[in-house]
Amino acid sequence: MCVAHIDNTLRLVACDDEAMRWGLRSGQGLAEARAICPGVIVIDEDQAADRRLLEAVADWCDRYTPLLALEGKNGLFLDITGCTHLMGGEDCLLEDILKRLTQMGFEVRGAISSSPGLSWAVCRHDADRIVSDEDREEILAPLPVAALRLDPKTVAALQKLGLKRVGDLMRTPRAPLARRFGSEVLLRLDQARGDDEEAISPRRPVASLSAERRLAEPIQSEEDILFLTRQIAQCLLSGLEARGVGGRLFELVLFRVDGQVFRLSAGASRPLRDVERITALFSQRLATLQDLEAGFGFEILRLNVLHHQPFENIQSDLAENDRRHLSLSTFVDQVSARFGPDCLQTYQLRESHIPERAECFVPASEALGRQMPKAPRILNRSERPVRLFRVPEPLESFAAEIPDGPPTRFRWRRLTHQVARAEGPERLSPEWWLDDDTAATRDYFRLESTAGYRFWIFRKGLYERDAQQHWFMHGLFA
Amino acid sequence: MAGKAVAQETVFALRETIARMEGRDIRMFDASDDRAEEILGTQEKRRRLSLGIDVLDEALDGGLPLDGLTEIRSSAMKDAGAASAFTLAIASLLQKQGNGLSARQAGENELPILWIADRLAVLEAGMPYALGLQDFGMAPETFLHARPRKLEEALWLAEAAVASGAFAMTILEVSGNPKHFGLTESRRLSLRARASGRHLLVLRQAGEEEASSADFRFLVETAPAANRYLADGALLGGSIGHSVFRLTLERSRNPALLSLSLEWNSHDRRLLVSTPAKSDASSRPAAHSGARLSASVDRQGAPEKMGTRLAFHRAS
Repeated sequence: MCVAHIDNTLRLVACDDEAMRWGLRSGQGLAEARAICPGVIVIDEDQAADRRLLEAVADWCDRYTPLLALEGKNGLFLDITGCTHLMGGEDCLLEDILKRLTQMGFEVRGAISSSPGLSWAVCRHDADRIVSDEDREEILAPLPVAALRLDPKTVAALQKLGLKRVGDLMRTPRAPLARRFGSEVLLRLDQARGDDEEAISPRRPVASLSAERRLAEPIQSEEDILFLTRQIAQCLLSGLEARGVGGRLFELVLFRVDGQVFRLSAGASRPLRDVERITALFSQRLATLQDLEAGFGFEILRLNVLHHQPFENIQSDLAENDRRHLSLSTFVDQVSARFGPDCLQTYQLRESHIPERAECFVPASEALGRQMPKAPRILNRSERPVRLFRVPEPLESFAAEIPDGPPTRFRWRRLTHQVARAEGPERLSPEWWLDDDTAATRDYFRLESTAGYRFWIFRKGLYERDAQQHWFMHGLFA
Repeated sequence: MAGKAVAQETVFALRETIARMEGRDIRMFDASDDRAEEILGTQEKRRRLSLGIDVLDEALDGGLPLDGLTEIRSSAMKDAGAASAFTLAIASLLQKQGNGLSARQAGENELPILWIADRLAVLEAGMPYALGLQDFGMAPETFLHARPRKLEEALWLAEAAVASGAFAMTILEVSGNPKHFGLTESRRLSLRARASGRHLLVLRQAGEEEASSADFRFLVETAPAANRYLADGALLGGSIGHSVFRLTLERSRNPALLSLSLEWNSHDRRLLVSTPAKSDASSRPAAHSGARLSASVDRQGAPEKMGTRLAFHRAS
């Protein structure tokens, strides 16, 4: 049995069958439980681990429907609208879920009804059953008010008033109830009765298109996975074509026999509708994957299109131009599938005179897909270095002409450089519309040391304001 | 003798079978391997990139081959600026020439350049700067850079990039002489470049010379910049003109070392032979107090015994 700190005391939060037989209930204090049963084995509650387990179960349940939501500490909502026929009807579906999860060693209860609230109430306070719309009211009426997902204080207050069953609440006039307990009670009641629509929020974005293959015999090898991926991708094509789109982000979901679920996603730089290229994305992805352990094999493979964009049918010309674009986007896809989208980047210029702000890095896979803004042309700009440090490096022991002169000697990375020639200063003011007060004016100098090295350094702040001078190395010239 | 010929026949037969299995062209295997390469070499003359300097182009047999591997190295990380600049200068020339269009026309149709950065070099010398690239005549949008975490990833990237043929030039930056980038890997890359007809440039920062499969290897060192002159020919004091770097052609078909100073003219976007700076009369100390000697033609002071060394030792 598990314990946790609730209201400053150690209380039971979960107990197994054996403990139940001894008469222990969750919510009891630990001392009381020890008094009832001295030999009790106590384990601290680990909420994170419980959560992980619930997530794993949810992942596993993904095979029934993509619309899944976690509920509280130990519940799952499955929106099975339109999915039941795949499993042979509602009763087969419920039976299948309960049987499989029980086999895994879970204690499971389940109910199917037309509203999440009713399902919750029935499976927790009644039997595992399917509730049809007609006998909704009769089943709900004898259930305790706790079945309405109300907080314990409200439940206790209702019980004091003698409203012990949901049926009592249904017969009570609504206005006094709302005045006394707030709108919560009525909302939950309406939700359970199905009068109020309650939407569950799915854990994952719902794929716009998805295709899957269930296997009688689990597969293990990479070639088999890729072979099946190709076949599944083939099934997706007609869907993509019907919508006139191509996929930008694909996800391959692998359900392992023991319930573990792996999700591999791979993005494409352009909308994609080519089976070979989709497969190639995943072959790159699989090649770099370390933690994919096939174990006893995968039994279900599913390919989702998470994100799609209009696919332009382009008449290819005979010139090399087209092929070149294609080869570039193929390369970019390969790299971002293998090493992640941030590995390959391109520059984008911004209109700013602060050197490090004038450029920003954009992942190449994004940059290829859209039209890049034309680089702002700045005329009469003085020369800029070839390489720029991301973070300017402080210089030590400099000797500089005051107030505005360049240094004659400075020390950088434990080397002293004697300055032979200097150009500058080029004064760059901070961008007051972005920066706060701490940003200081910079005076940039282009220096050449006696050994011929050319540097780009700046002094932070003005000499008149603070006599303390801070010099920084910011770039290297050719 | 006859036995050897028979053995050779067998080898050719096997090679032919392998080639057929791999679906390659088998014509090149009817002669011995060396001769086949020779024939190929004469059949299609390798396209070359002229650097615009007669002395240098002559030493390079007409320019850098467009489908080859070239290495540029700097002996210390502080020369990273100069080495990067020379690399970018070549990239810029190649990007312009690759299209056969004039610089003005090119614009949109330029093939991109890929820079595969090295972690250490980025820490030590920073990333290529977008605005600086503009000074080399490159549009930052057509300049991609990759930041792999490991050398193996960098090599994979270089190989895939060259093979894709999507880039005018792939620049692989390496710092030092890593163990896993030796002769085998460079041979592999150079074959890949040869097959796809794209240029690969290895930029070795702070590295020793090492046996590699590059057609040419340059050593770049920085040198004092050129002076700036006013319209009337007077010296503009205290200013820094075009960047100058000393270039030593360490490896080429020509046994003699070639060493010269080049300057990059960022306005005309071309390399020029730098004329030695006139000693200016300013009070500042001279840029170089000692005489700067060119690299010796014979490499060593005294000739070494023959046969002691076939290739350089691995510096890594």
